[in-house]
Amino acid sequence: MRIYAACVYLFLYTPIAIIALFSFNAGRHASQLQGFSVQWYGRALNNPFVMEALENSLVVAFTSATLASIIGTMAAVGLHSVRGPVRAVFDAIIYIAIMIPGIVIGIATLIALVTVFDVINPWIAAIWPRVEAAPQFSMGRGSIIAAHTMFTMALVVVIVRARLSSIEGALMEASADLYAPPWATFRRITLPLIAPAIFAGFLLAFTFSFDDFIIAFFVAGSETTLPIYIFSSIRRGVTPEINAIGTMVMVVSLVLLIVAQLILRSSDRKKSRK
Amino acid sequence: MAYDAPMEAATPVAELRSVSKSFGSVMAARDLNLAIGQGEFLSFLGPSGCGKTTALRMLAGFETPTEGEVRIAGDVVNDQPSFQRPVNMVFQSYALFPHLTVAQNIAYGLQQKRPRPGRADIKARVAEALETVRLEGFQDRRIWEMSGGQQQRVALARAIVNRPRLLLLDEPLAALDRKLRKEMQIELQDLQRSLGITFVLVTHDQEEALSLSDRICVMRNGEIVQIGSPQELYDRPATRYVADFVGTSNFFEGRIASKDGARARLGLEGGQVLSGSCGPGLNVGDRACMSLRPERILLRSEAGDAGHPVTVQNRIFLGEHTEYLVTSETLGQVIVFAPRQTEQEGLGYNKGDTAWITWRDDAARILLSEQ
Repeated sequence: MRIYAACVYLFLYTPIAIIALFSFNAGRHASQLQGFSVQWYGRALNNPFVMEALENSLVVAFTSATLASIIGTMAAVGLHSVRGPVRAVFDAIIYIAIMIPGIVIGIATLIALVTVFDVINPWIAAIWPRVEAAPQFSMGRGSIIAAHTMFTMALVVVIVRARLSSIEGALMEASADLYAPPWATFRRITLPLIAPAIFAGFLLAFTFSFDDFIIAFFVAGSETTLPIYIFSSIRRGVTPEINAIGTMVMVVSLVLLIVAQLILRSSDRKKSRK
Repeated sequence: MAYDAPMEAATPVAELRSVSKSFGSVMAARDLNLAIGQGEFLSFLGPSGCGKTTALRMLAGFETPTEGEVRIAGDVVNDQPSFQRPVNMVFQSYALFPHLTVAQNIAYGLQQKRPRPGRADIKARVAEALETVRLEGFQDRRIWEMSGGQQQRVALARAIVNRPRLLLLDEPLAALDRKLRKEMQIELQDLQRSLGITFVLVTHDQEEALSLSDRICVMRNGEIVQIGSPQELYDRPATRYVADFVGTSNFFEGRIASKDGARARLGLEGGQVLSGSCGPGLNVGDRACMSLRPERILLRSEAGDAGHPVTVQNRIFLGEHTEYLVTSETLGQVIVFAPRQTEQEGLGYNKGDTAWITWRDDAARILLSEQ
């Protein structure tokens, strides 16, 4: 049994460990270890294509995580006060959004956006005074942000909902009893209490968006995010530079996930100490 | 302590007029009528599910009555949300805000009040409230750093700092241990008297209701069974339910044999006839019962006049009094409390002894038997 478990972990983590190991390779071949060096990290960070892809990824991840946190929190708060079949239906829709494979979301979003743009763009061109200057919707950062927001919003809803249902209902009543109208109750009681969950949701959404390849690949148009860059350069052969990028992405993602977990857990502990 | 009724002349602080509340097909409260006077300490007493909490929540504004009117200071407030009512509540779970300090919790109501008092004023009133509940120096503590009893005081301070017209307390002492509960009961009473705020307490603990209240409103199945001072409820219960719920009592079932004004005679099944005082609403032939408080029964070694022969079944020494379980051929089992004074020389009665029980005429109360 122990050997079996060891095999599973080896199988899971050896490739990742090798990527990290080879990112410090002094030689230029990904399969031959030739001494320690951090030169590939320097190369990666000085590569303008990598940096542009990284900037795209960061902007997309930050924007979509922010939007997802705001919209997701609003949805969670709204759903919390709804009862009965309406709630069941919306809950189901949210869980489905998490379960649907990324490739389906990618294709579906692509088709939806293309269809909408095809309808809207001629309209804008028709209304605009000078046809050649009329803004036209197309695939790019905006479409990646839209697709990622939709997907990661569901995560935020689930996390915030869990937090909301752990808050004692009497707290809201106590606030109302102490002359606070509903908005003040939300701002001064509900929001501070769910803030850790919102922040954890934000970090999770950020990580998912930052790491996502499949959805971005479909809706990115001519834009390149970091995962897309990695994918396209791998087709030209794996270099230690790719290993270095991969390792950096992995470390950033892990740190964000751990921070999210710590936030959720420490705020739970405070509550239970009460 | 007990004045029998609130000052009737003035406008009541709060009033329920034919108030009913149903949740779906369940009637939680049915035709409640009640006026709460200024400065009164009123308790809703009853077992869980009797509608007492629903009544309180309708006063607080958390529930809207299905029928009838809730009035506060003369105004109908049925449609007024809780945040507009001059009423504050101490919750059973305290419901203190975990992310705020003690002082921030107490200041919350003042900060939300419109017009909002000045900052210095809020600070002074918070300090005063902390002093009232004897928590000076705790203002910067976090809620989870406080013990149950301290949290209870914070909850109290958070409510009284707003000087509400009506302070609602939902089983506020239920979570405290017995000794602390006793202390808090005394403090609550002192507080109520010194502040002059009207208190409305919900409790299932009859002892608590008896010791704290000016008036008690006994509820059952969503209806008010009787409203009266503790002594009234104890000495002149309206129904067997009240007699049973408030204190301990012996009940002898039978039918009304005759009635003369405020006195009636009850025919037991064995043919014995007992007499006692009675309230209105009883008619000859009704099924009724006689309630006899155990501490008002005398246990004697001689028959005397009108003594009922009994056999002692059990004797339990309880410190300030001794509880006897005796059986009589005509009355069945009877519980008797004998105070220390009548037990001189440590003799008392032992299991198997024969004795006689008697009681004064005014100790017996004849009540309608219910359902």
